[in-house]
Amino acid sequence: MDVVVVGGGLAAASTIGTLRGEGFDGRLVLIGEESLPPYERPPLSKEYLRGEDAELRLVRPPDWYADNGVETRFGVRAERLLAREREIRLQGGERIGFDAAVIATGSRPRRPPIPGLELDGVFDLRSARDADRLRAAAARASSAVLVGMGFIGAEVAASFRQMGLDVTVVEAFATPLERVLGPVLGGAIGALHRDHGVEMVFGEVAERFEGVDRFEALVTSGGRRIEGDLAVVGIGVEPASEVAGPDLGTEGGIPVDAALATAVPGVYAIGDVALHDHPVFGPVRVEHFDKAIKQGETVARTLLGRRQVFDDAHWFWSDQYDSQIQMSGFATEWDDMVVRGSIRERSFAAFLLKDGVLRSTFTMNWKLDCRRSMPLIEAQARPDPRALADPDVDLRRLHPPKG
Amino acid sequence: MSDWVEVASVGDVAEGELRSYTVLDRAVAVANVEGDLHAFEDTCTHQGCSLSEGDLDGTIVECPCHGGRFDVTTGEAVGGPPVDPVDVLDVREEEGSLQIRIRVDE
Repeated sequence: MDVVVVGGGLAAASTIGTLRGEGFDGRLVLIGEESLPPYERPPLSKEYLRGEDAELRLVRPPDWYADNGVETRFGVRAERLLAREREIRLQGGERIGFDAAVIATGSRPRRPPIPGLELDGVFDLRSARDADRLRAAAARASSAVLVGMGFIGAEVAASFRQMGLDVTVVEAFATPLERVLGPVLGGAIGALHRDHGVEMVFGEVAERFEGVDRFEALVTSGGRRIEGDLAVVGIGVEPASEVAGPDLGTEGGIPVDAALATAVPGVYAIGDVALHDHPVFGPVRVEHFDKAIKQGETVARTLLGRRQVFDDAHWFWSDQYDSQIQMSGFATEWDDMVVRGSIRERSFAAFLLKDGVLRSTFTMNWKLDCRRSMPLIEAQARPDPRALADPDVDLRRLHPPKG
Repeated sequence: MSDWVEVASVGDVAEGELRSYTVLDRAVAVANVEGDLHAFEDTCTHQGCSLSEGDLDGTIVECPCHGGRFDVTTGEAVGGPPVDPVDVLDVREEEGSLQIRIRVDE
């Protein structure tokens, strides 16, 4: 069997590593648009951006691919998956046939039509190259203006403060991450950044970037003019689904069933680009590190003849200053929030419930409970709120029986 | 050469639990899987977090930082970000104490 994996990120690397690790001996081709072998992106807004990590963290050593019989095309864009011909057409015209294909092309930063976005000194952050440029610019800068305070914006704000820059953030909502976390937990993140000297302007959006040759100031919808040496735009991503073509892809990603299969037999999509019909959450498209790894593992096992449904509860972390934040599950709305620990002291777990069902857990400087809650979320359990609120109750005692 | 080093008394690691010990400047974790003890380097090969602060599920320990999973019986990385295994060490209970065998460079 010939398997082609499109996309050079973590999900692709995980697919290939699992396939070879679990005995797949057919032809295996990896096509990545970036010229680098798969690397880990989380450090790009943290240790790598701050220069504490001099090197990228490669998922596997560069030699691993050839040593394990993986044909690689790095620095080559896959233009289109041809479903009928069962081929992938690459930039430059090469065509590679497949019996099964895995699309793991990821996402790219959203770039709405804001005047001045193209100015030198206005950055977004996705790739290692983006991080290299931003790191070099930040080293020469004393102030930065950030647009958007999602996780990337918050992590960049923290890194820049740690590098000694003055940081001003413009955020459309009333707190950081309000859309994802709600005002209380978003407020806890806001307080963390305020205590570290970040200036935050809420309820306003970027109107235009000004500058003669390069960025000088951001003008907001509220009429403020905020000067800075550089600007970073972090207002979310969009799925990089072009390779799928109009038959397979949509604006919201590439729809896949619970087992990560697209509408075309033998074609799968995983990671950021996949709009996954999750057995617990319904159709979701999320951009998590852990999910990218696990979906790669899952699709590899399906290709090895052991079809698996992906029902993992999703989990991610974010390090900001000396605070470690974790979140599991997925909730767009909830009607109850149970806290163990103390939000004020920034050491807590917050459990988000809807109709008594645990949907999501958010923790700050609170080890283990985020991941321990995942089997509860996957089982759509209705844990006793008093047990959730009690730090002495080990969440594992509330888990449903296995099997 | 190698040497058995006494780190605790017998029964220090309860069934299903993990403990960490410092043995000649090395952090070593001991897991108790259904009564069998397994010792391994207490440092995740991904970013250096302490594995003994994670959870043990059967023979699998899960790193509390980024979810790396290792089989405590072999040290093998079996899931999540880490690729390289952790070292496993010999452990025993003898003469009332929990002992770990450490290689000593001469």
